[in-house]
Amino acid sequence: MPVIKSIIRLNDLDTNFVDEVIETGSEVFGEEIPKTIMACMQCGRCSGSCPSGRRTAFRTRKIYREVVLGFREKVLSSDELWYCTTCYTCQERCPRGVKTTEIIRILRNIAAKEGYMSKSHKMAAGHVFRTGHAVAINEEIQNVREELGLSRLPPTTHSHPEALAKLQDILRKTHFDELVGFDWETMELKEV
Amino acid sequence: MEEKTYACFLGCVIPNRYPGIELSTVKMLRELGVESVDMPGAGCCPAPGVFGSFDLKTWLALAARNICIAEELGCDIMTMCNGCYGSLQEADHLLKGDPLLKDKVNEILAPEMEYKGTINVKHQVEIFTDDIGIERIKEAITMPLDGLRVGVHYGCHFLKPSAVRGHGKAERPGMVDALVEVTGAKSVEYKDKMMCCGFGGGVRTRDIEVALDITKEKITNMLDAGVDCTVNPCASCHLQFDRGQVEIEHIFGDRFNLPVLYYSQLLGLAMGHDPRELGMHKQNIPTDPVLDKVEGLK
Amino acid sequence: MNIGVYVCHCGTNIAGVIDVEKVTEYATTLDGVVVARNYKYMCSDPGKDLIRSDIKENNLDRVVVAACSPTMHEKTYRDVMEEMGGNPFLFEMANIREQDSWVHTDKDMATEKAYDLVRMAVAKVRRNEPLERIEIPVTQRALIIGGGVAGMEASLDLAEQGYEVIMVEKEQSIGGHMSQLTKTFPTLDCPMCILAPKMALHEHKNITIYSFSEIEEVSGYVGNFEVSIRKKAKSVIEDLCNGCGLCQEKCPTKVLSVYDGKLGTRKAIYTLFPQAVPRIPVLDRENCLMFTKGTCGVCKKVCPTDAIDYDQQDEIITEKVGAIIVATGYAEYDPTPIEEYGYGRYKNVLTGLQFERLTNASGPTLGVLKRPSDGATPKRFAFIQCVGSRDVNTQEYCSKVCCMYTVKNARLLRDEHPESEVYIFYTDVRSAGKGYEEFYKISQEKGVKFIRGRVSEVVGLPDDNLLLRTEDTLTGDVYEVEVDMAILACALLPAEGSDKLRDILKISEGTDGFFMEAHPKLRPVDTLTDGIYLAGCAQGPRDIADTVVHAKGAASGASVLISHTKMSLDPISAYSDESVCRGCGECKLVCQFGAIEIEPLNGRLIAKVNEVLCKGCGACVGACCNGAMSIRHFKDEQINSMIEAAMEVA
Repeated sequence: MPVIKSIIRLNDLDTNFVDEVIETGSEVFGEEIPKTIMACMQCGRCSGSCPSGRRTAFRTRKIYREVVLGFREKVLSSDELWYCTTCYTCQERCPRGVKTTEIIRILRNIAAKEGYMSKSHKMAAGHVFRTGHAVAINEEIQNVREELGLSRLPPTTHSHPEALAKLQDILRKTHFDELVGFDWETMELKEV
Repeated sequence: MEEKTYACFLGCVIPNRYPGIELSTVKMLRELGVESVDMPGAGCCPAPGVFGSFDLKTWLALAARNICIAEELGCDIMTMCNGCYGSLQEADHLLKGDPLLKDKVNEILAPEMEYKGTINVKHQVEIFTDDIGIERIKEAITMPLDGLRVGVHYGCHFLKPSAVRGHGKAERPGMVDALVEVTGAKSVEYKDKMMCCGFGGGVRTRDIEVALDITKEKITNMLDAGVDCTVNPCASCHLQFDRGQVEIEHIFGDRFNLPVLYYSQLLGLAMGHDPRELGMHKQNIPTDPVLDKVEGLK
Repeated sequence: MNIGVYVCHCGTNIAGVIDVEKVTEYATTLDGVVVARNYKYMCSDPGKDLIRSDIKENNLDRVVVAACSPTMHEKTYRDVMEEMGGNPFLFEMANIREQDSWVHTDKDMATEKAYDLVRMAVAKVRRNEPLERIEIPVTQRALIIGGGVAGMEASLDLAEQGYEVIMVEKEQSIGGHMSQLTKTFPTLDCPMCILAPKMALHEHKNITIYSFSEIEEVSGYVGNFEVSIRKKAKSVIEDLCNGCGLCQEKCPTKVLSVYDGKLGTRKAIYTLFPQAVPRIPVLDRENCLMFTKGTCGVCKKVCPTDAIDYDQQDEIITEKVGAIIVATGYAEYDPTPIEEYGYGRYKNVLTGLQFERLTNASGPTLGVLKRPSDGATPKRFAFIQCVGSRDVNTQEYCSKVCCMYTVKNARLLRDEHPESEVYIFYTDVRSAGKGYEEFYKISQEKGVKFIRGRVSEVVGLPDDNLLLRTEDTLTGDVYEVEVDMAILACALLPAEGSDKLRDILKISEGTDGFFMEAHPKLRPVDTLTDGIYLAGCAQGPRDIADTVVHAKGAASGASVLISHTKMSLDPISAYSDESVCRGCGECKLVCQFGAIEIEPLNGRLIAKVNEVLCKGCGACVGACCNGAMSIRHFKDEQINSMIEAAMEVA
């Protein structure tokens, strides 16, 4: 039988991880919401409520435990982290008031910063850089709009270049371009 | 009723995929005495579970920019998608509750824009329910949809997180059912009615099979309960059910042909409008079975 | 004036933060202080001996102890003063623990604050006056509110000691929730079998039961309460009724039985259960045809003793007692608001108490297991734990009894229906108690399946079966389980009407809504209102065994009080200076204890304080606009001296 090293030394984990999560979340939510993770009692009510968990290995409960104990790399690199549809069912039901869904969003923010944002997500973001819309107009829909008696282009950033410029300015200021790897020269994602 | 004008927030899916939603909502509201004006230069809300997952600060700033446009117009915002509602309402809630956060966001918006916190963000369902009221809608029904069995899908972000949204508990809501039943249609109970459609949180973009598997389960549950169509108050869920059925067939090989109606389309039919005026013919899944079911609709 | 100052270390509680040597040294510099000492535990015998010997050797007449809160040990030191022939009110405590060492970390600053507190106490004690305690009579009778197992136990203990006991029960029979149960853990006793001998208390010569009755008003004070009891009209003349039950049998009106969890019916004239005490039925006027339609009269016709009286009125009875024990029990949480569990929507989702009735031989199915939706025999059971307990959205506390009663019910199912599948979905199994863990283990051995996960949702299926979803947190798998019946272990809440009773008795409740004890550890049966005690679940969720212990404690507390014919009260009460008082009555308006009367004196009006009723709160002093009101031991000049001392710099 092959020998596997199955014992984890808790001391070797990143015990500051939970503080990092709370600190990151505090920037937008204030401290109270991310701090609720500390009160998780591992009852599993979240995981059993999860529509994604019923078809994937995503276990919200397990993620909160791993965060509190300091499994930083494991949590941030996991695919499961991205299976949450943010339906909030778990957050509504949590008996300890853990703001579960918000914590998933915070964890994803950290994961994105660590380079775990998927190509598909970057591409979706790319549409916003170019058009101000995550789902942009196309020729077919322009025809449909016209047929329905609407303007070919909606009165959004699609027909207001100055508004699009302002939106792009925001993306620069928040360094979202760096996070996504967007090249303003080519208006495309940088090749990794 | 006090005459009210809303700033009509379109977002992405509505103008760029399902213009019938915009058309039917604006039309029905106008007929019921609620006006709406364009929000020039508005953009992506941006999706709370998608952009919020990438970078909450960027999400918040972009949402604040949209709210600023309505503040300029001096109107409350009307949303037609749970994602847009969730995004703008949550951003507004956070910014109104935290002056320091507001300052930080305004630094990003400066110099041309400033979030002030002077307006509110509303969901279309709230406007139908609270501003117009069931009674007034009832009076406007000319073509009761008697006999039509509807699987109501609420979507998630209209009601949740309930502590932020403030529409009460989200386990057994009744607002949309009441709006559907006033048309004469029957809101049918079905298994896991409050389950997500699968669209949100970037799952559709990143792992479409997971998203569609959820959609498929919902559609199956509705069909098991014998519905003629599904009705939603959310453009994203609408896309997930309508476009999603094409994708489900492509990926899993299952073909359901469950007609998908946005609420104002259903209402439009009951208020005597031609389905073509409501953009119902410009969707992926044919809505004809609904028309066949109710006498006088064709 | 010879003052002694004693600084307590309280182990490291005080000395760990405050430099007690320095404080002692500082105390010697204060005016009037002839001796100052410190000791590890001033409240210990050697500590008290230090004070005793100084009173003797140094002729101390006033003493200050700098230690903990006066609520803790003021009495200890006053007793020392008294014992040594001094006046106990020439004593002050400086609270350098709760108000200093426990709440500060900076040692130098804390020590300086101790200087301030000691200086203030010394300033006060210098101005203290010797006072005499007030002696009052004690009524040697007790009132027990609630006739459940707690109330019964307390009543019996007091009655057996020879005291008269008045028991008031709001239901028509005593017995409480215990009478509803099927069996009790961990011994599997039949609750009625062990309860019935106690219910015989109605035959005890020292016990009077008022059933179907409620407390209307309580006035008076410790040792001397006057209680108004509303004896609600039963529409049955108790002296005539022989409990034959013919009226119940013949009554044509069926009503859902709350006692049976609405799983069965009772008549419009009914007793709660076969062994009810008293055996007098009550006519439910909301449903009786005589009252709703004006016709019927069957019960009156069939009654062999002519005991039915449709015109009977409520009666108000007044009783005088010296002590009151509140034993009002609990109410089961209605889980309807937890919509995802489907209670109220799905017929086969039951509460714990409903399940007790369903399996009880005197219950609606006579103990035959049938599920409510279709009467079919259920084979698969899910017990869902922590429903409305341990949940910030409902009740945050643990209801304590649910783990064990669920294990009991699950085990009984496996014992009596070995073919059944029984699951318990739990968050933690809390089985602390004698024989409890063993009981839990036996239930496992008998095949009860324990799944660690808080159930997420219950989905109703078309055939009335139920689909549960949960994560098994021990394997990380998400399960769906189909069962025929789900039983919710609902939280224990304070009994209905607790708020009203709280106001009547002027006792307080905790954030959980249960009545609050005077001290969670050291005074668990007392309330902060002298003479009123708590027994059983009125104070917080507890099982039968703990309830009996608690009730015995309450009876003991009450008997300590009513075993005396007289008692003494602290003389710290308000009084008015008759030469200054103008009898305006402002003080009377603000006094919530009804201790002030406005009386004529030499052709004018003055305020007169009843020293026994007065609690020394000081509201009247603040309300008095011409300085006529004062409180003994807290006079203006005494308080002012402390404030002046506080302003001085050490």
